[in-house]
Amino acid sequence: MSALRNRTAEPVPGFAEALERLRGEAAGSSGRALEQRNAAFERFQALGVPTPRVENWKYTNAASFANRPFALAPRGTVDPDLVIPHFAGGHKARRLILVNGRTVPQFSHLGGLPAGMTVRPLAQVLAETPELVDRTSVNDEPEHSFEALNRALVEDGAWISLEDGVALDEPLQVISILTEAESAFMAHPRHVIRLGRNAKLRLILTTVALGQAESLLNQVETVEIADGADLTIDRTLEQGQGRSAITRSRFVLGSRSRLQQTTASIGGSLIRHEMEARLRGTHSEAILNGLMMPQGTEHVDTLIRMHHEMPDCQSDQFYKTVADDRGRAVFAGKIFVHKDAQRTNSYQKNDSLLLSDDAEIDAKPELEIYADDVKCSHGATCGDLDPASLFYLRSRGMDEALARSMLTFAFTGEVLERIADESVDHIVRRMILSRLPGGERLAELG
Amino acid sequence: MLEIKDLQATIEGQDKQILNGLSLTVRPGEVHAIMGPNGSGKSTLAYVLSGRDGYEVTGGSATLDGEDLLELEPEERAAAGLFLAMQYPVEIPGVSNMYFLRQAMNSIRKARGEEEISAGAFMKLVKERAALLGVGGELLKRDVNRGFSGGEKKRNEILQMAMLQPRICILDETDSGLDIDALRTVADGVNAMRSPDRGFLIITHYQRLLDYIVPDHVHVLAKGRIQTSGDRSLALELEEKGYGGVLGAEFAEVAA
Ligand SMILES: Nc1ncnc2c1ncn2[C@@H]1O[C@H](COP(=O)(O)OP(=O)(O)OP(=O)(O)O)[C@@H](O)[C@H]1O
Ligand SMILES: [Mg+2]
Repeated sequence: MSALRNRTAEPVPGFAEALERLRGEAAGSSGRALEQRNAAFERFQALGVPTPRVENWKYTNAASFANRPFALAPRGTVDPDLVIPHFAGGHKARRLILVNGRTVPQFSHLGGLPAGMTVRPLAQVLAETPELVDRTSVNDEPEHSFEALNRALVEDGAWISLEDGVALDEPLQVISILTEAESAFMAHPRHVIRLGRNAKLRLILTTVALGQAESLLNQVETVEIADGADLTIDRTLEQGQGRSAITRSRFVLGSRSRLQQTTASIGGSLIRHEMEARLRGTHSEAILNGLMMPQGTEHVDTLIRMHHEMPDCQSDQFYKTVADDRGRAVFAGKIFVHKDAQRTNSYQKNDSLLLSDDAEIDAKPELEIYADDVKCSHGATCGDLDPASLFYLRSRGMDEALARSMLTFAFTGEVLERIADESVDHIVRRMILSRLPGGERLAELG
Repeated sequence: MLEIKDLQATIEGQDKQILNGLSLTVRPGEVHAIMGPNGSGKSTLAYVLSGRDGYEVTGGSATLDGEDLLELEPEERAAAGLFLAMQYPVEIPGVSNMYFLRQAMNSIRKARGEEEISAGAFMKLVKERAALLGVGGELLKRDVNRGFSGGEKKRNEILQMAMLQPRICILDETDSGLDIDALRTVADGVNAMRSPDRGFLIITHYQRLLDYIVPDHVHVLAKGRIQTSGDRSLALELEEKGYGGVLGAEFAEVAA
């Protein structure tokens, strides 16, 4: 009894009040849909908010950011001029824009989608066919409390669906804006992404916080990639002080399908990204790359569960971390090779750079293997900038700050190279340089 | 212009004196060669002069045009006009050679209060100088020294030197690793830089380099100090007799 108490904290009343406010107001908040919300909320309350005693939350204290008096996000709009700098994917890209977790159709640009491709606000789906939002096929791993909370409080999100054989030639960008606000707010968007057989999509997921506010973004994504389908995701997360974001992504891959995601989690008081990928057909491939870069007192946490369920699949996790000041990064990656998953190739690598004595990086690689014919490897390195390299640069006239910034930037290069979209690559380089001392002098490298 | 007086240095945290009262003066326009057995302190001298961490200067002084070098940060020494072509150039993954050169040039210009070089002027200059030194365009695009062969690294050092136009050039075994033709090319590059207001300190084990870059003075460094000095004939004598033959039996095949 008390053991259980210690493991979770009782949620603050704000969440129940939020549910109350949504009732009858939000899409899918009456009748059967409301029952689903209520049931989800009960699950959330039963699960509670995890404390560091819960294994997967050892390094990230959820209660410290989740149990604050957040209210539902203010309805509001933003100056389009502030959104445009975050456009990526070229002028032909389609765009869906969310402000505080709600889609804003007038900012979005979704014209000319190929037949068989649908992009709609999730709110419409919640209102019409809420059962489609809960697809059990992607819900193997037990739901955790924030996911249940999201299901209870979801108002909107992106619904992206491609039928068999459909491909969008240009990227689709989903920009999620969090506004400035006087009082603390939260948003619980949910994205449902489905690629039919042999469908192909390049997706850009951009999350940006504008101005000052205390906010909690609690996002859930369910992603189904059917046989032969190919999904590329470039994801950036740029938040500021007082901003927390927790994202849960569940990927399911069919045979001969491919997922490649590259994530740049650059700033934010607290960022946690949980990913679960299930390779459920043969000969499929999942690649998850990422860059975490906490500074100040930021905290960035990545948790990956890579499940090889079927034979002949390949996966790769490649994360780099740069922690400065009192920043803290966590990388917990686990590879599960199920007993039927013979001839699995699975790799995981996490390289870290600790730029200050007060920064901290926790890397926790894990393997759980039940098949006998597998190739798995994991490696983690952690170090400071190489003194010989620093001296080399300085002996050529570069001052210490510039030399450090140049080497730090160079360290991130291997991840940046994996960003699929060139414009995202530029944006991420700019984001990184803006955080490095003297970065403006390195700008032309970006 | 480079004035080293009674320089003494140890490896930080160790008692053993590596430089043991070394004195040497390089005047503008002069080329000095330093030869000496392995481990005698040649690279240590080069590093101490350029300001690498890990050494402790326990005595003596080193000045460049009267300015105390030992007080300066490595980048300030570079801005003052000191350049070291390293015995083991460092690989810098993720930074392109071209970009590196431009940052180096502009950093030094900035420190001297000069205008930055324009992208166009830089490109023109780097292509010209690279061609002279046999550094191909492909090497310029690659990451600094990454995967370069031993000889390519050495040429790249000299290219940097040619771009930065230092006042005093220290070359630490630039010749080792170079093939016969490259030795010639690099020597020509160095000779082209010889000028009445520039000095050279050339560390080498081999007389052959000195056939191409003819030194004004040759010094033998052993046991952390200059044991003897002479003109270019000293290098020939060393080649013939060995260190023991020139310096006396106690220097024959000793670990410095
Ligand atoms: N970091 C270090 N720790 C311990 N000993 C060192 C260190 N660096 C240099 N030494 C020692 O100092 C002495 C001088 O080394 P240095 O590299 O200056 O020799 P050198 O004359 O350049 O030799 P070579 O001709 O082989 O290049 C050597 O005995 C070397 O082992
Ligand atoms: Mg040496």
